[in-house]
This record gives sequence, C-alpha cells and structure tokens, in this order.
Amino acid sequence: MTLRNRILAATAAFGLTMAAPVAQAQEDLTIGLALPSLTLDFFDQIRGAVTERAEELGVELIIVDANGDSARQVNQVQDLISRDIDALIYVPAGATAAAVPVRAAKRAEIPVVTLDRNPPNAPGDTFIASDSVAGARGIGEYLVEVTGGEAKVAILQGQIGTTPEVARDKGLMEAFANHPGMEIVAQQPANWLQDEGFNIAQDMLQAHPDITVFVGRSDAPAMGAAQAIRVANVDHKIWVVGFDGLPVALEAVRDGSLDATATQQTVAMGRLALDSALDLIEGKELPAEQLMDVTLTTADNAQAFIDNHP
Amino acid sequence: MSDAEQSYLVKTISGQSRGAALGAWIGWLVRATGPLLGLLLLCLVLSLTTDSFLTVNNLLNVLDQATVLGIMAIGMTFVILIGGIDLSVGALLAVSTMVMGTLNANFGVPLPIAVLGGVTAAAIGGFANGVLVVRLGVPAFVATLAMMSIARGVANLITNGTQITGYPFWFSELSIIRYGGLLSATVALFILLALISGLILSYHSIGRKVYAIGGGAEVARLAGINVKKYTTMIYVLCGITAGIGGVVLATRLDSSEPSAGLGWELDVIAAVVIGGGSLSGGVGTIGGTVIGVLIIGVLRNGLNLIGISPFIQQIVIGAVIAVAVIIDQLRLRRG
Repeated sequence: MTLRNRILAATAAFGLTMAAPVAQAQEDLTIGLALPSLTLDFFDQIRGAVTERAEELGVELIIVDANGDSARQVNQVQDLISRDIDALIYVPAGATAAAVPVRAAKRAEIPVVTLDRNPPNAPGDTFIASDSVAGARGIGEYLVEVTGGEAKVAILQGQIGTTPEVARDKGLMEAFANHPGMEIVAQQPANWLQDEGFNIAQDMLQAHPDITVFVGRSDAPAMGAAQAIRVANVDHKIWVVGFDGLPVALEAVRDGSLDATATQQTVAMGRLALDSALDLIEGKELPAEQLMDVTLTTADNAQAFIDNHP
Repeated sequence: MSDAEQSYLVKTISGQSRGAALGAWIGWLVRATGPLLGLLLLCLVLSLTTDSFLTVNNLLNVLDQATVLGIMAIGMTFVILIGGIDLSVGALLAVSTMVMGTLNANFGVPLPIAVLGGVTAAAIGGFANGVLVVRLGVPAFVATLAMMSIARGVANLITNGTQITGYPFWFSELSIIRYGGLLSATVALFILLALISGLILSYHSIGRKVYAIGGGAEVARLAGINVKKYTTMIYVLCGITAGIGGVVLATRLDSSEPSAGLGWELDVIAAVVIGGGSLSGGVGTIGGTVIGVLIIGVLRNGLNLIGISPFIQQIVIGAVIAVAVIIDQLRLRRG
C-alpha cells in the first residue's frame, strides 16, 4: 500500500466514523428500498451501495424489485408499509404513476426518500439525484467540441416521460442551442436497454448512413450502438456517448469503444439515501433536492473511476 | 375430466338439474381442495414466519393487489375452459386504460363514458381474436400473440408512449376507500364479477355449453351447440375483463401508462392453471381460479413481508407454479 492509498483509506475511514453518529440505536430500524428494475445495472449499483451502508450501520434493509412494472411497485410499497418500515427509499418504476406509493407512505406517516426519479405531484421528503441537466449539458458541449459543431446526431432515448429522460434531453438541447450544425436526424426510445439500443442503432444507421454521433441516454443503449457500429463496418468516425458511468461502460470508454460518458456518483447516492432516511426518521429537515455532480468521463480519466467508483 | 364432472355433464344434459347442482358442487370441491389446501398452507407458513402477514389490513391489501389479476383471470378461465388461450390480455388492458385516459384527458369526455370507451376498445380486440380463431382458423396461440403485439402498439400510439395523469379525485378513491372498513369499490367489483360468472358456469345453460365445448368441440357441435358463436363470445368476454382490468389499474395507479400490464398474460394464465384449470380445456372453475389468483397474490405479498431478496422471489414463484401443476396432474392421474 502506497502512502497515498493509505491516506485515502484513512480519509475514507474518517468519513465513516464522522457519518456514523447520524443515527443512534439503529439496530431496531427497518428501511424499505423499492427499486424499479434490477436488470438495469444502475439500480443494481444503487442496491449494492444502500445495502453496504445499511450493513455498516446495522440497519435492517428490505429490498423489493418491481421488474419495471409500476403496478407491482405499488403492491410492493404497500407490503413494505404493512411490514412497519421506519422509512422508505423509493426509486419509481414509472414516471407519472409514481405518486401513489409516496401518498401511501405519507398516509402511514412514513418518511420517503426519492432517488433518481421524483413524482412531480407528490414529491418525496427529499429527492436525491444526479444533476442530469448539467451532466447532459457537459456531454453536449463535449460533442460540439469534438465534432467542430457539425454533426448528424442520433439519440437513443430512455423511457419517455421519466425524470432522467426529460432532464438529459434538456441538458443536451441546451448545449446544442447555439450550434445549428448539430442536427438531430433520428431519435427513438431504447428504454435504457442494450439490446434495444443495438437494434435501433442498426436500423438508424441503415436509414441514415451519414450519422456521426450516437447519444445514448444511458450507458447500456450507447454500448449497444457501439456494437451496431462495429457490425455495420462504417467508413467514417462515429462518436458514441453514454450516461451513468457504469463499470462496464467505464471500461469501454478506457478501451475506446465509447468516446465519453457522464459518471454519476452511484455509490455516494446510495449511501446518502440511507443516511437521509435515518435523518428523516430523527425528524431532521432535509433540502427538497440533493443534487450530486456528474463528471464527464473520457479515456483520460476513466481509469480513476474504474479503480474507485464515486 | 374427472368422474364427478363427467357425471355432472351427463346429468345436466339429461336435464336433472338438482342432481347436477349437487354434482357440480362435489366436482368443485374435489377440484378446488388441492389449490385451497395449498393456499391455506401458504397462509399458515406466512403467519408463523412474519407478524405482519395475518392482520386484517394486510389481508385486505392482498385483495386490493389481486383485484386486477383476478378480474382478468375470470375471462381467461372461460377461454381456457373451451381449450383456448389468450396471450393478448396484458396488451388489451393497456389499450383500455389508454383509450379511457385519452378520451377523458384529451377529448374532455366525461369519465364514466370514457370508461365504457376503454372497455369497448378492449372488447373489439377480443372480438378480433374470436374472428381470427373461429372464422379464419388461426390457432388461438398465434392469433392472440398477433393481437398482443398489435394492441401494445395501439396503446403506445395513442399518446406516443407517454403516460396520462389528472384523473378526478373520486376516481382513485374507488380503489382506496374501504367501505365498511373492508371492501374498496374495485375489490367489490371483482367479487361481484367472480360470483356472477361462477354462478353462470355452474348453473346456467351457457356454463354447460362452455364445458361441453371444452370437452370436445366436435361433440358439442353435433349436440347442437353453436360452437363458433360461443367461442367468439368468450374471446369478447376475455377482452372485456381485460378492459375492466385496465380501468381498475388506472384507479390504482391514478394514471394510465402504455406499458401497463406488460407480461401479465402469463400471470393470468398461471393463476387459472394453479387454480386447477387445464390448458387442454374442459376442466376448471371460477372458484379454483380465484384461489389461484390469491395464491399468487399471497405469495408475492408474503415474500415481500418476510423481506426475501427479489432474485430469490422469482425462483420461489416459479417453483410454486410448477409444484401446483405437478400436484394437480398427479391428482388427476389418480382420479
């Protein structure tokens, strides 16, 4: 262990001891974590981070997975409430259907931390998310720079209407606003999935062989697009960018099959969600929104994030 | 087909309705005890492993949670009884909820009429299934597979993939307020539909015809039953129950989304089969189906209450479906 690593480890340990007094007598506390779909790596990372934090603090954690089905998620949150959880960490499966679980928890006087997506008409007591608009703007500015402001852009959208889809679209469009040369030639929902991203990108390349940029609203469809480009054997450079900074995507960025991604502080978000839940149980006031920075990641800085995911 | 049911058929066809009623009752008991025992056993295990299962509030939650699945399973029971299958119910549910939503939110149609519109749209899908199967001779599996894709596309097309919100307050209260502290309006609707269709299947001539078609379509036709008409009607009925499911789901979610009900056809079919329905037709009851629905509901609820990892939940649910059907098969072979 080098001196630098030792300092890092010591700092981390210090951070833990600082955070530990957040809640006393957590042994009896039970927290529910309602996730939309564990088939998406991002949510699995969140699950890992929250679980780890709960184990550190000795809090009981009950995890339910809606498998992308918002009706099932309503049932699951109902079950968590029956189970007498002390707080709910809620990552909505749908976009707008998301209000019902928050209301149900409120009726049972259970504090709610929303993460990644926030129901507009019934927000959680605190909402933790990446600053997606700024992150996507960063991606957009990067694209303008590397293409010289002239590009035919294809977008692999996420699930329409969800908070991250809306915010990332907004950020990208802000970056493109003063660059009329950045022309959107195709956009279609790939629902955050790699295989859909692959198929849709393949068809887009067929319809528009002159595409020079693929924007994946998350890493998985971007990686699908990268594969589609490889298969299509195109004769010009196509830039491919993602969003999330999943470990596999970071490796792809390092190895050059993706050009850039925006790395979310997934681990920090998961830990903050659990700490916020404990704070809410103690009756502390938390800000309505806790936005985390997103870092533009290219081949230059990918390795650092692979070694130590934020 | 079990002896009890065969004798039931023979008796009913010869017109001894009182004996038939008794025969039907015994047949139902024989067929339903397996799943019923399973359900009771499941409840017992869950009551022992977690304090929060056996509470009035939680059991009412289970009913709430099972309502949409239950309503859809009623229509599916009829389809499976005549030896058919309907893979389009999840997608027809989405069509119904989206048509209702768009009529109300974007065209200003009063909600009760919009509800009728949604259910009608799903019924039309069911009618198309019936026509494909009966008139054009497409196997039910393929016809309804095609409809599944078409209906999902239609549901997405209505709003270009986005959700619809903004239903009036009273609408979502239908599945929230528990009248007399017990039943929400939607659960009451499920119970009512189950009772009516159970009575029709057991006591009305339509029920006898349904079982006869399932026992052998050719024999039923020779016995003077208009098999084509009844088959079409049953696919329409299955569309209607899927449509009602879409409306109930919208009250529960306080919104409509085109991805609603994705993959639910499999849950619905599983519920009927766990409840003793046979995919080869002629065997099954509404009572059994309701128990099948409750087994799935109780299982999902209980595993959440115990706090079992989501990955293990999938394994347990699959295993229960397999075990339920294996037990039923063994019982049938012995009987």
